[in-house]
Amino acid sequence: MRMVYKVLAYVVAGLVMVQAAAIAFAQFGLMAWIEQGGTLDAAAMQSDDVSFTGVAGYMIHGMFGEMVIPIVVLLLLISSFFARTTGAVKWALIVVVTTAVQVTLGLLADGAPALGILHGAGALVLFGSAIMAGMRAKATGAPAEDASTEPAAVPVS
Amino acid sequence: MTSSRGRRVPRVWVPVLATLVIVVPLTWMWQSSRVPSAYSVMDMGYPDYGGGPQPSTSLAGHAGHGTLSHTGHTMAPITDLVTDPNRPADVRVDLTAASAGVHVGGREIAGFTLNGSTPGPTISAVQGQLVEVRLTNASVSDGVTLHWHGLDVPNAEDGVAGVTQDAVPVGAEFIYRFVADQVGTYWYHSHQISDPHVRGGLLGALVVHPRGERPSGPDVVAVAHTYGSTRTVNGRTGELRVAARPGETARLRVINTDNQPMPIWSDSAYRLVAIDGTDVHQPTMIESQRLLLTAGGRYDLEVAVPASGAARVQLSRATAVVVGSGRPSASVPPQPSSVLDLLSYGTPAALGFEPARAVRHFDYRIGRRPGFVKGRPGMFWTVNGHLYPHVPMYVVRKGEVVIMDIENRSGVVHPMHLHGHHVVVLSRNGVAATGSPWWVDSLNVDVDESYEIAFEANNPGIWMDHCHNLEHAADGMIAHLMYEGWDTPYRIGGPSRNQPE
Repeated sequence: MRMVYKVLAYVVAGLVMVQAAAIAFAQFGLMAWIEQGGTLDAAAMQSDDVSFTGVAGYMIHGMFGEMVIPIVVLLLLISSFFARTTGAVKWALIVVVTTAVQVTLGLLADGAPALGILHGAGALVLFGSAIMAGMRAKATGAPAEDASTEPAAVPVS
Repeated sequence: MTSSRGRRVPRVWVPVLATLVIVVPLTWMWQSSRVPSAYSVMDMGYPDYGGGPQPSTSLAGHAGHGTLSHTGHTMAPITDLVTDPNRPADVRVDLTAASAGVHVGGREIAGFTLNGSTPGPTISAVQGQLVEVRLTNASVSDGVTLHWHGLDVPNAEDGVAGVTQDAVPVGAEFIYRFVADQVGTYWYHSHQISDPHVRGGLLGALVVHPRGERPSGPDVVAVAHTYGSTRTVNGRTGELRVAARPGETARLRVINTDNQPMPIWSDSAYRLVAIDGTDVHQPTMIESQRLLLTAGGRYDLEVAVPASGAARVQLSRATAVVVGSGRPSASVPPQPSSVLDLLSYGTPAALGFEPARAVRHFDYRIGRRPGFVKGRPGMFWTVNGHLYPHVPMYVVRKGEVVIMDIENRSGVVHPMHLHGHHVVVLSRNGVAATGSPWWVDSLNVDVDESYEIAFEANNPGIWMDHCHNLEHAADGMIAHLMYEGWDTPYRIGGPSRNQPE
């Protein structure tokens, strides 16, 4: 289970990278499209087929941010209960809380763009916490994952 | 050993319990968000009486004809709420709905047509005429209905699949009959799977003219619709040209059929003479301000053709109506930064009813949170803190005056549309309305805004009260207004695959 925890932690970090890449791709794509005469307004933004290079970035960012990452992060938290690694639950909780903050900021920033500043910075915090979680699993060493072969953590009296 | 085992047992169970603490509530939320394959809107959510009198009978009676509720009281089916069947029609229209490729801006997108075009034909009537529309479904595979947006028709003519009728399947027809009592600009659209249907163009304009002689200037319908990503007016990109002589006054009936608010501005002075079909009392000239027309809403503008050239009215940046005979200015005039505030536009006039007499006071608080809707996880809209289908059923009695507080804390604008009624804005963010009575059927409730609205409950039946960003409605931003004593025999889902949103 420790391996699952570790993999999930790195998957979260990887997804955060995807998020950054997707939104940058979309943003530059949009800029280039507007430079070439494209016009964007609310109605066009919501339509299914505004097509410019990078438009998928917005879709990916929204879908990963609101659905995929929260689900993976919950799985990470569950796996942390079984990981038997010092600090696993703590780091998983940090990742959960940071993710919750990120999702909230991402949604609120629609109405208060300045929150986007925190959202961007928060991504680095989330990325760092996920990496830390993954590295904790490694640093503790690797006793076998099967609980039966693991030394009891409580002294036998 | 005993103590050792006694201490090891919790160690095994703690992670399992912790997992259950996460998984069980999620599973429960998922399970409770699922809806049956067929259900009545009467079974959805919970009744909200707004502090008014409560019925002595159960609301969920389920009508056949005049069925008994659980407590033995008669509930009448809304199918009784029709226009006088013996009165002959004055205006007859046949509309045939079809799935078709729509050519817009040099591209073809998958869409829908009515009588071979989109928008469908404009239906015109004179006040008081009985309009009869025969809708035939030629090839819309999911079925189709027509809702008369803004017209307060009898409930059974409202065209909401699964609430007021079954979706019309391919090869079948449905006849709508209503008296065009309300003068003004309206529109019609499918209310079966409404988001893709309306996006794809299953819509058209409906204009009710006053009796008597009409003004001499041009009277132009401008249906703004975005096909795919292409903005159009009356189905065409760019400019809609309207011939007019200098000095003439044109009436532009602008209809926003999209999911988002649309800015409107002009290089000439203009007046906003009607909102959602209702005349504005003593409208003043607007010069350096833009309008914001909410999704589903209509504005009638009066524009005087300047002595030289033509007046250009922008419907967003991409499309415009150009009125005049001279050479129009080719460039888009700069969009004014200031938006006309309808709270203080025009001058006060009698409302025709007394909001202070209100016996019910409803809340429609819009929020957003993660959860499940119809078994799908995601971020969803809440009504009074609840996710669909646990939404309020606002219960009223005929003749009552009702006040509703709409508040938007969801971070996104919502165009709120109540079927079958017109509502008047009393205040916004606690500031009382001081202009012309601001009657709407589609209200732009922006982020962190709150509106106090009032209406007379004078049109019995079961009415949707939903967001007209139809994507939001499909995600569950729907509530209903129901009149005590009425029930619907129709079901969401079921053999007709009714899916109003």
